[in-house]
Amino acid sequence: MSTDAVVDAPSRTRSRRRAVGPIVERFGLVWALLALIAFFSLWPTTSDSFLTTDNLRTLFANEAVVAIAALGALLPFVAGQFDLTIGAIAMLSSMIVAAIVTETGVPLVAAVPIAVVACAGVGLISGSVVAYLRAPAIVISLGMATLIGGVVLLYSGSRSIIGMPAALTDFGSLTWLGVPRPVWLLLVVVLVVGFVIRYTVTGRSLLMIGSNAEAARLVGVRTRRLILLSFVLAGLFYGVAGVLLLARTGAATPGDGLGLTVGALTAVFLGATTIKPGRFNVPGTIVGVFFVAVSINGLTLAGAADWVDPVFTGAAVVVAVAASTMLAQRRSG
Amino acid sequence: MSVSAEGAEQVGASTVGLRVDGLSKAFGGTRALHDASFAVERGQIHALVGGNGSGKSTLIKILAGVCRPDAGEVEVNGRRVAAAEVTPEWAHGAGLGFVHQDLGLFEDLTVAENLFSGLPYPRRGGRIDWAALYGAADRVLDELDVGVQASRTVADLRASTRTLIAVARALRGREDLHAGALILDEPTARLATAEVERLLEALRGYAARGQSIVYVSHRLDEVLAFASEVTVLRDGEVAARRSAASLTPRELARLVAGREVAAAPPARRAAAEEDGARPAVLEVRGLDCGVVAGCDLDVRAGEVVGLAGLVGAGRSTLLRALFGAERRERGTVRVGGRALRRGDTADAVGAGVGFVPEDRAGQGAFLELGVRENLLASQLPAYRRLWLRRGREDDATAAAIRDFGVRCPGPEAELSRLSGGNQQKIVIARWLTAGTRLLLLDEPTQGVDVGARADIYALIRAAAERGMAVLVASADADELLELCDRVVVLERGRIGAQATAGELSHEWLLSNVYGESLAEERNA
Repeated sequence: MSTDAVVDAPSRTRSRRRAVGPIVERFGLVWALLALIAFFSLWPTTSDSFLTTDNLRTLFANEAVVAIAALGALLPFVAGQFDLTIGAIAMLSSMIVAAIVTETGVPLVAAVPIAVVACAGVGLISGSVVAYLRAPAIVISLGMATLIGGVVLLYSGSRSIIGMPAALTDFGSLTWLGVPRPVWLLLVVVLVVGFVIRYTVTGRSLLMIGSNAEAARLVGVRTRRLILLSFVLAGLFYGVAGVLLLARTGAATPGDGLGLTVGALTAVFLGATTIKPGRFNVPGTIVGVFFVAVSINGLTLAGAADWVDPVFTGAAVVVAVAASTMLAQRRSG
Repeated sequence: MSVSAEGAEQVGASTVGLRVDGLSKAFGGTRALHDASFAVERGQIHALVGGNGSGKSTLIKILAGVCRPDAGEVEVNGRRVAAAEVTPEWAHGAGLGFVHQDLGLFEDLTVAENLFSGLPYPRRGGRIDWAALYGAADRVLDELDVGVQASRTVADLRASTRTLIAVARALRGREDLHAGALILDEPTARLATAEVERLLEALRGYAARGQSIVYVSHRLDEVLAFASEVTVLRDGEVAARRSAASLTPRELARLVAGREVAAAPPARRAAAEEDGARPAVLEVRGLDCGVVAGCDLDVRAGEVVGLAGLVGAGRSTLLRALFGAERRERGTVRVGGRALRRGDTADAVGAGVGFVPEDRAGQGAFLELGVRENLLASQLPAYRRLWLRRGREDDATAAAIRDFGVRCPGPEAELSRLSGGNQQKIVIARWLTAGTRLLLLDEPTQGVDVGARADIYALIRAAAERGMAVLVASADADELLELCDRVVVLERGRIGAQATAGELSHEWLLSNVYGESLAEERNA
């Protein structure tokens, strides 16, 4: 045993030394996140409020919504399709569940699947237009998002729907084994999306389409069908995020969901600067979600005003997109 | 240095158009270029040859000022600087002009707009003075004997003319041709033979008028016929500097590869009766698709069939239509008796058809994915038992890397990190599995060095031995002669002359492929 280790050692150190640059690059955002956490834990202004069970539970439970939406968006994104319907579909999902449980006798266990399937259906519509009419995803999804926001507004008359059953709000607010229940749901989504991307023919095909759609078609990948599928699956996950949002807030509020869209996009693009730099990836996306969330949470605890959130998130989007584009170019060049 | 001294010292140093001295460049631990030196006399055509990864591209990038070397000097027209200080502006100012393999022309713009792209257009009263622009462009074209009107749209021009326009743009501002040097990276890779001749003729004219030319090419015959001096790069070092007259193609191939290049595996040249007994894998009847019209074609198991023809004769279109990459308008395509749906690549792959497109970067390779993802792209379901088994994928990839002699760091390595030849091996190896019955190859060795080319031929022949039917489209006569049991000539989308191995020769190809266009030129 020991002999093996000795023989192995030199080559291992050499390869490690050569890889120092990439490692800094790969884990830069992770270090930044850890540094932020350390900072807000030690900074006198936030030290007694940041690292508390209550604060962390709230933070994690809230961010589970953003993270699930972002992971859903990852599927069209790895295939090179920019989907902006994230927040709009999540809002729609909240509205459908709220409307069904408050206005019909249909139980919650039926309302949730109905909403999620409806959301997948919306994904089917935008996905069909993008895949089969070859329309640019970014424009189609922007149009769809606006349209959905309008329909929700039409139905709700811009009033929030309140009075959710306890079963739903409990799921949003209670913990299981000390961990907020939404985080358990997030864990499941992480595993599912991670598995799809890494271990399924579908996921690999989406990566291939994202890398070179024409080459994918020429090795027999049914590119249009897969792009459509990615939008359907994404819609489904946005729907789940929407149900969770309703469970967290207890009310469905009409809106275009732009905040959630931007939050999820920021995470997806920040994610592409880390773990696998230049590529959209699952662990990176999660790090991205919490990087933004911890920053804003800490600043808010320090008494920052309302404008800090959009300014910080907006800046993060710009920096993340610029950085991930740069990394992708460096990798290919 | 001593190798070239005899030739170089007779003429004074002042007659040197371009000289590089001791250029070195390392990327991380890899030595891309080491102490490379050569000089190009004024008016000389100097070929730079070498395999993929030999350092040619790095050298050109350094001269263009887009890659910063670790050491060395560059001299143009007596102006000498440290190579690390070469910037694109310096290179342009000193009179270095570059023509890259993809010409970088704006296809939808006119010749004049292309010639003056990047420069301020002439203006009058705040508006572009189009008359002055076209006048200036016509003067440049006239000076350089390009023989095209400045108002033509580039997309409408023949390939050699387009290349000459890229050359004219590189020579912009010094049409007197006395200063500087013109550096051409594989200018003939995409040209058919007749077009090559026209381009080289024009370049010879520029050299005779005093322009120094550095000419990078993989086509060794062409290099020897065209250049007067040859510098061979291998593994980043200058392996040899010779006068072209002193070399045979075979010697040059050996210098490039650094070893004896295996002669092409003796083509099977099987008797016709034996072939007749084998079942036809591909049966095409009455195929219409774009330029291709009324095409009937059979390819038998174990047979390598070449598709020859001029540019635009429909070689690529035919292959793409067979594979379903383009939707055929009429006709049937059967593979192993099964009719293929039109315009459905997945159906073709399912029937056991593989396709290696001409444009590797654009259509064949997933450059930012790994070797594994590229190699197994068409056979993923074979590695799925409920989920994709990464272990099996890695085993298969490692085996392919070994079997096909691919030089790469491992299954995870990003494809863009491999040299062109190794990338192409992966893209071809993708289809060399038991499931493929018919392999369609479009220019399989374009931009691939001599050593890798021989390897690729061996792979294709070996696959045919195992019973795969192969259809190869190529503009390279040597390739067709070396690889094919039978060659079919496409003439304006129709099947023309055919010849089997015994009857095939350079002369046959020349008269049957170019005969028509040669006749046209004579009449013109």
